[in-house]
Amino acid sequence: MSTGGPNPPSTPHVKAMNCPSCGAALSLRSFTQAVSVVCDSCHSILDAQDPQLKILQQFKKATGEDPPLIPLGTRGRIRGTPYEAVGFQRRTIHVEGIPYSWHEYILFNPYKGFRYLTEYNGHWNDTSTLRALPTLNSHTGDVTVSYLGETYQHFQTAQASTTYVLGEFPWQVRVGEANEVTDYICPPRVLSSERSGNEVTWSMGEYIAGRDIWKAFSLPDGPPEPIGVYENQPSPFSTDTKTIWTIFGAFAIFLLLMMLGFASFARDEQAFQGAYIFDTNARSEASFVTDPFELKGRTSTLELSTTTNVDNNWIYLNYALINQDSGQAYDFGREVSYYHGYDQDGSWTEGSRNDSVAIPSVPPGTYFLRVEPESDSGHGTIHYEITAKRDVPQFSFFGIALLALLVPAALITWRSMNFEHLRWAESDHAPMESSSDGDDD
Amino acid sequence: MRNLYMIYGVIVLGLLGMAEYRGWSLASVNEVKNVPRSVRDNPGSYRSVYAVYHHYTGGK
Amino acid sequence: MTQPAANCPNCGARILFRWSSSVQTVCEYCKSILVRTDVDLKKVGQVADLPPNSSPIQIGAEGVYNHHPFVAVGRIIYEYDQGTWNEWHLVMNNGSAWLSDAQDNYVVTFAAPGRKLPASAKVGEQYVWDNESYAVSTVTKAHYRGVEGELPFQYWDKEDVVFIDLMSEHGKFATLDYSDEAPVLYLGESVEFEDLKLKNLRTFEGW
Repeated sequence: MSTGGPNPPSTPHVKAMNCPSCGAALSLRSFTQAVSVVCDSCHSILDAQDPQLKILQQFKKATGEDPPLIPLGTRGRIRGTPYEAVGFQRRTIHVEGIPYSWHEYILFNPYKGFRYLTEYNGHWNDTSTLRALPTLNSHTGDVTVSYLGETYQHFQTAQASTTYVLGEFPWQVRVGEANEVTDYICPPRVLSSERSGNEVTWSMGEYIAGRDIWKAFSLPDGPPEPIGVYENQPSPFSTDTKTIWTIFGAFAIFLLLMMLGFASFARDEQAFQGAYIFDTNARSEASFVTDPFELKGRTSTLELSTTTNVDNNWIYLNYALINQDSGQAYDFGREVSYYHGYDQDGSWTEGSRNDSVAIPSVPPGTYFLRVEPESDSGHGTIHYEITAKRDVPQFSFFGIALLALLVPAALITWRSMNFEHLRWAESDHAPMESSSDGDDD
Repeated sequence: MRNLYMIYGVIVLGLLGMAEYRGWSLASVNEVKNVPRSVRDNPGSYRSVYAVYHHYTGGK
Repeated sequence: MTQPAANCPNCGARILFRWSSSVQTVCEYCKSILVRTDVDLKKVGQVADLPPNSSPIQIGAEGVYNHHPFVAVGRIIYEYDQGTWNEWHLVMNNGSAWLSDAQDNYVVTFAAPGRKLPASAKVGEQYVWDNESYAVSTVTKAHYRGVEGELPFQYWDKEDVVFIDLMSEHGKFATLDYSDEAPVLYLGESVEFEDLKLKNLRTFEGW
């Protein structure tokens, strides 16, 4: 600029004026960019571009108060840029006769222009108007819209009317004016189109946590609790569900390999076998000890199988596996019973003639069995055979492990599906079986 | 979330491997120490908690 | 930049040119529109009161476009049915460019002479320049509202002018300017405010 001069470029200042309807003082925080401004006192809508502040609309009836959560004039940083809240409005749609309202905050920065924050039931969105037009994909069936490589699903179309205004707006605002609004979602983003007459304006919103807004604007207390799931609220599960099942698949394959590995490397060798007869009528001492036998290899299981010939009878065997050298014993009892018969439903059986148990973690060494059989007296003799097998893999554990891996994956998938169900319950495409919108009032 | 699941799965498989290798089983077995060698000569002298047994009558 | 000096023929104030090739300028003091002849400055008109302006850019603002530094030395204000916008005259080392400034929408374009241009065009029609395909997005009828600072040509008091804007899929921008008899083509692209790295902007009270 040439030196000096009587008229340096004027620094725009916040204009202070008086409302032509009620005389109350009002100021234009957005300098010359506001198109409408609402008087705080009498709620008259004034033409901000007119130096006389022509009255555009007056609220004859009291609309009640709807104080904005972010007071007008508060400044906060969104994406590193400071903004001032200069305007506020409430918009209402009707779905099946029920009104739903949300709030919009007009934010202003003299260098960056306008930005908007929308709030519904505690869910916030950071919105700005789009310059470029998204492309409509009208395939048969769902209507989607594409923008910058993302596809947005149609969520809702409704007539939105303005039911409350405060502060300044960069467009002509009127209470009662209705426009057709359509939302397309691609969480965490949403594309909204607003049609008034022939003109369509597009804006894009991104879901933002109320917490972040409170921090940005240094507001007292905390944000309102969000109710339900909002259209573009990002799912805490979505990406994880797919990867978790992939991880599960990897684990399942590994589990299978482990099973094959243990099955093939296990000794699974017979360490002892003996056949005995128990006389139920005998009065002498029934307990006896077997010959010693060797248990080789590392500390592992010893599977003890009892095969009997009981017929409508039972035998109870008190076993003790005793280490000949260390005196350590494993003490347990096994009951084998088998019953069968015939009644009006046909033939039935109960129990089994055979039994098997795995004694855990038996160290290698020389062992013998002490056996004490028991049964009802007067049932003749019972023949039974005892077999001991060293290092038998426990297949039940593999089943348990598979279940343990499955349950969290299934749980997360279920929760994710539940979340999405809640999301779409509020849309035009609510799932059939739900009793319509879960009212979040 | 997926990292938690991965850690969890590794723990599960780790436990599984340990169980299989160390020979764990689901059976409930009582460990008794210091059984005297005389048991081989006199098996009747050995007293076990499992010796007292409630008779199963069974059948339908 | 050489800064030849002269005096305003109307009020005598000192006029300094930021750009040697300026054809027209406006006297800051008396708002006379002055055109440069070989010898001196000639007053050709008067600028009426400019409309309230909320652009953060002002004459003297500096920035960078595509690694080329520039200074905003002048502007033309256009008015159309929805309001006004500014066309800032930018001066760079290797010539001049235009920065269109409308409701925080910024587009930088350069004059692109020597191409075949249509006499008129409708929304949706496609044209190809420099291997880029452009489609007509808007047809705007605007008129001159005011000038400020230095311009590379004479411009004031024009009648209604048609501007045809075109956009390409790759974010490139084109404007057909029908101010004169023969249309003039400007090619460029839209830019983000941050990317221009503007300095010496207007200050707003409280910001």
